[in-house]
Amino acid sequence: MSGSWISSRRAFVAGLLAAVAAPSVSAKAAGGEQILLGVSGPLTGPNAQYGAQWKKGFDLALDEINGKGGVKGRPLQYQFEDSQADPRQTVAIAQKFVSDPKIVVELGDFSSTASMAASSIYQRAGLVQFGFTNSHPNFTKGGDYIWSSSVSQADETPRLAKYTTELGFKKLAVLYLNTDWGRTSQTLFSNAAKSFGAEVVAAEGYQPDEKDFRSTLVRVRDANPDVIVLISYYADGALIARQIRSVGLKTPIVANGSVYSPKFIELAGDAANGVYTETNFFPGEPRPEVQNFVTKFRARYNEDPDTFNAVAYDTIVLMAQVFDQFGTDRTAIRDGLAKIKDVPSVIFGKATFDPETRRVAGARAVYLVVKDGKFAPWDGVKPTVN
Amino acid sequence: MNSFIDYTVNGLVIGNVYALLAVGLALIFGVANLINFAHGSVYTIGAYVGWAAITFLHTPLAVTILIVALACGALGAAIERVALRPLQGRARIAPLLATIGLSFVLDQLVQLIASPNPRALPVDLPDWRISIGGGSVGPMDILIAGVGLSSAALLYGFLRFTKLGYAVRATAQDRDAARQMGVNVDGVNSAVFAIASALGGVSGLLVGMYYNHIDPAMSFQATLKGVVAVVIGGVGNVPGAIVGSLLLGLTESYGIALFGTTYRNLFAFALLILFLVVLPNGLFGGRRAVEAEPMTGTFIAPSRALRVPPSVVAALAVGAFALPFALPAPYMLQVLTNSWLAGLLALSLTLVAGAAGQMSFGHAGLLAIGGYASALLATDYGVTPLVSVPVAGVVTSLLGTALVFPAFRLRGHYIAIATLAIGEIVSLVILNWESFTHGAMGVTGIPPLSALSYAVTSARAVYWLTLAALVAFALLQARLSSSHIGRTLRALRDDEIAARSHGVNVTRYKALAFGFAGFGAGVSGAISAHLFSYLNNQTFDSQLSLLAVTMAILGGMGNILGAVVGAVALVGLPEAFRFAAEYRILIYGVVLLALVRFRPQGLLGTV
Repeated sequence: MSGSWISSRRAFVAGLLAAVAAPSVSAKAAGGEQILLGVSGPLTGPNAQYGAQWKKGFDLALDEINGKGGVKGRPLQYQFEDSQADPRQTVAIAQKFVSDPKIVVELGDFSSTASMAASSIYQRAGLVQFGFTNSHPNFTKGGDYIWSSSVSQADETPRLAKYTTELGFKKLAVLYLNTDWGRTSQTLFSNAAKSFGAEVVAAEGYQPDEKDFRSTLVRVRDANPDVIVLISYYADGALIARQIRSVGLKTPIVANGSVYSPKFIELAGDAANGVYTETNFFPGEPRPEVQNFVTKFRARYNEDPDTFNAVAYDTIVLMAQVFDQFGTDRTAIRDGLAKIKDVPSVIFGKATFDPETRRVAGARAVYLVVKDGKFAPWDGVKPTVN
Repeated sequence: MNSFIDYTVNGLVIGNVYALLAVGLALIFGVANLINFAHGSVYTIGAYVGWAAITFLHTPLAVTILIVALACGALGAAIERVALRPLQGRARIAPLLATIGLSFVLDQLVQLIASPNPRALPVDLPDWRISIGGGSVGPMDILIAGVGLSSAALLYGFLRFTKLGYAVRATAQDRDAARQMGVNVDGVNSAVFAIASALGGVSGLLVGMYYNHIDPAMSFQATLKGVVAVVIGGVGNVPGAIVGSLLLGLTESYGIALFGTTYRNLFAFALLILFLVVLPNGLFGGRRAVEAEPMTGTFIAPSRALRVPPSVVAALAVGAFALPFALPAPYMLQVLTNSWLAGLLALSLTLVAGAAGQMSFGHAGLLAIGGYASALLATDYGVTPLVSVPVAGVVTSLLGTALVFPAFRLRGHYIAIATLAIGEIVSLVILNWESFTHGAMGVTGIPPLSALSYAVTSARAVYWLTLAALVAFALLQARLSSSHIGRTLRALRDDEIAARSHGVNVTRYKALAFGFAGFGAGVSGAISAHLFSYLNNQTFDSQLSLLAVTMAILGGMGNILGAVVGAVALVGLPEAFRFAAEYRILIYGVVLLALVRFRPQGLLGTV
């Protein structure tokens, strides 16, 4: 576990005695006045694992930057406020951050429900809300202080559709997570797939806490598809993949990039083999940004990073560069995000924002297939389609 | 036709999984007359104990099952001894609330210890499958069915033919009589909790293996589905629980076949409501399955309310209004704004639960109706918030009352279950009625509150507005409580039969209470919608409903000032304890447990 976790525990004890709020902060290096980033994200509640993943990515990037003396001699630090991804709490956190002059930029929150509830407060106060996992198409429409480096679904899903059709599939059955993210992806995917000449023969939305998919798979089977496309996160994607195989369906599976996690293979077991996916982040990719990140991550945490670690890491690296070039004034940060060019990024290769949409285009894409319980680059072999 | 067989088989397979849970719940209900909301937590703990045994001790399946059964049996006995036995003789809802508090505590402990990330739980069973129709059944399905059926059969035999079984049934029928006949009632209860929890733990293990997936958040859904199955089967009836589970599984499966996957839970809860309305004792429950209680399912601990002089209340209100001048920090004002909005919710709940005796576990559903009404009016129909917010209050009042209407004739735990289900149904309808509610995408770009051309956006303005709404509702509610209507509502709460025989039209008064309460909750939801500018079906979730219940109890049921105090304490104070973020839900749970145990009348006392 990271140092910040321990410090928050100590603060818990100290706080009980003193009853003084002491937010969890991390990283101590470099002299000078610190630059403080506010993070609003889930540390408890149903999405708590994602907050934990962020922390690992943040801490790694902070160590790297502060180890080199910080930004112009000033160390970076973040203040992580637990929102449980609950909109009632993100608005309070937003008020806390905007009225604290030490906070120069806000990162998060995790879900669209939680993040967009707070957008208007950040926008009115003129503090950049930087959502790096917010794919809701309307997220950045909250105003000119609302930015996102989350890979836009409009960017990502057509690529998945392209990969699916390149694999030779024509009749697609789509299973999607019935949230704003899954719904958006499903619509974009279906439209793109049609433009590539494929046909969507079934589309089934499911609830995030769903565990049983057997009856859904009967519906899918009756539509007679030649591939099943999963628009899922890794945990639910793994559940579905397993059940597809255990009910005896041989239909190939294509899954979108968010299943890319070592956990997917752990949870899906043998059923993961042969799953095609496409990701922005693959530790085996030889690009220096990726290799640098992966090596350091493995050395520190003794495990393989996943996409959530990577986007969190990227975000800190990006912010450090913005501070370095444009300073740490709140307005300067907003203007800087529009001007900054080609920031080295694990996800994008080189990240540049479109000042109109306040998003980054051109995420990297690596075609993958699971072989012998491991993600491997796609070898170009097309499956036989019946 | 082929597919029909597949849907049937799949329905039975998932019903089989529900049955494992339902048997334990039914057993506890039969003896302790209690819906054990902590059963799902025991199930989760069973899965994690099994995971630990397999990972660290490399135990074979049979040994793992034994370890899990022993560990969870001991946990069950401990739950009974520590949390429930001290509550004997209290209102029936007290132990139910204690199990809710316990489930918060246990789930959070699992999450702290095991991390929230899901884990794999592999099983070393042979890999063969029997095909039926177009699908197949594997060894795990058969193992689950075997454990479910054989445990039900064993329990049945145990209850019918053994001495301890006699004692259990005697205790279930009449605790006092059993005690007079020399039955060790506490021992019986303890044994029942141990057996049911052992079974619950084993089911968590088996289901975890079945899906190769365990996570700390799996308990709530499990409890919910188990409770639905138990109600369908007839509470307290073990074989009935199995039939109920299978029926639930089949209904879900056919629902998916007919309308698609997103409708699954809607079918499950609609089936529950149907049973509650048409056949409240379930398929196999006797006519006396649930004892008639003079206090219809409320948590009214008779007490003298703490008298706070009106001058002090007025001074507090004036102080609250003046606060932004002394303390201009927007963060503090936002936290208090949240407290005022929660206060409106707690006021609404304390009216229906405390004054009218209708404990509602789905109150967040009212917020959702109000929020969506105002948001859709403002965005899709261009109505100004000045009009849309009060209209949303009226809509919530009417729609909320209409939705709860079928539950009016229910009593005791059934009201709690019905309102819980209605809250879930509201959320599921919002998710599925895409053409009207925008479905999973939610409503974006909800305009901020405004009056004529003045936009209410600053933290201070919003603070005053919400505080004014809260004070207005509190005054209205105080007026209502002290009028003949309030007196009639309390009469109906204390003894519905007596009230009826005095010529009180029970349904009309309950509707009146829900109508008034719905308006307040609806306005709270509507204001929240305009503050957040974005809403979706998860904004007001079932966790919020349970939080509302805790707020009302903390303040003292029916106590108006108490509801506000409860809201400030549970919404405002956690902000002060942000450093303890990871422990927050744990703290809620402990607060609830401690209140139920030591101060059931709440901080300010029941009215």
